[in-house]
Amino acid sequence: MTQQSPETWLNDYGDLLYRYALLRVRSEATAEDLVQETMLSGLQSWNSFSGNSTVSTWLVGILKHKIIDYFRKHRHDLKQPQANETAEDILAYQFDSQGNWQVDLIEWNTPDSHIDKQQFSNAFNHCISRLPQRMADLLFLRSIENVPMNECRELLGFESDNQLWVTLSRTRVKLRQCLATHWFDKG
Amino acid sequence: MQNCQQIIDLVSQEIDRKLPWKIHLEVKMHLLMCKNCHRYAKQVKFMHAELNNIEENLNAVSLSTEAKERIQQSLQLAQTKNPS
Repeated sequence: MTQQSPETWLNDYGDLLYRYALLRVRSEATAEDLVQETMLSGLQSWNSFSGNSTVSTWLVGILKHKIIDYFRKHRHDLKQPQANETAEDILAYQFDSQGNWQVDLIEWNTPDSHIDKQQFSNAFNHCISRLPQRMADLLFLRSIENVPMNECRELLGFESDNQLWVTLSRTRVKLRQCLATHWFDKG
Repeated sequence: MQNCQQIIDLVSQEIDRKLPWKIHLEVKMHLLMCKNCHRYAKQVKFMHAELNNIEENLNAVSLSTEAKERIQQSLQLAQTKNPS
C-alpha cells in the first residue's frame, strides 16, 4: 500500500468518518466536529502510524476514542430519564406469562448477493437509528468499543450492573425485532 | 431451570462477558433443545458480527462542501503551526 499523505485524508476518509460519527452521535454538527478532531489527532500522531493496519482502520480507531471522550464530556446530558427504553411490547408478544415462546422465530437467510447486502445494510442502519439513543450508545460502547463495564455504567447513568445487562438484552430484542420485520420477513 | 425469556437475557450477556460455567452449561443445553432460543441466539450473534464491521456498510451520507472546507482550513492551520 502506498504511503498516503494527510493532504488526501479528507477526500479519502472524510465521509467514512462522518458516517460513523453520525450513526453514533446523531447530530451533524457534532459529527463534523468529531471528524475534524480525529484528523487533527491523526496529523499529530501520523509519525507513529505503524502501517500494520490501513489508514482508514487507524483513523476510525482514533474516531472511536474521540466518541468515547465526547461521552465523557457530555455524560450529564445523558443522565436524563430515558423514555421508551423497555421492550415490554415485544416481549409480551413473544413470550407467554410463563416466559415460554408463543411465536415461532423464522430462520434468517443471511444476505449473500451484493444487492442483498446493500438492502440489508440499509435496514440495519435504519433499525440502529430507531433505537432510543441511550440503548444505541450502550450497544456500541459496551459491545463494540469494549468500554469497561463500570465506565459504561457511569457514562450512561445506569444505577446497577444488572440494569445495564437487562437494558443491553432489551436493546438486542428491539434491534432483532426491527430487523425481522424490515428485512427478513419481507419476502 | 430458566425459562426462555431468561435464557435470551443470558444469551445476550454471554456475547459480552463470560458466564459462570454452570450457567453457561445450562444455556448451552437449553439451546440444544429449544428451536426458538437457538434461532434467537444465532440471530443476535449475527447482529453482533454485523455491528462489528458496520463501518463498511454505513448509510451513504456525505460531509457537505462547506463542512469539508471548514475541516480543511483547520487542518491547514494545524500544519502551518506544527510542520511535520
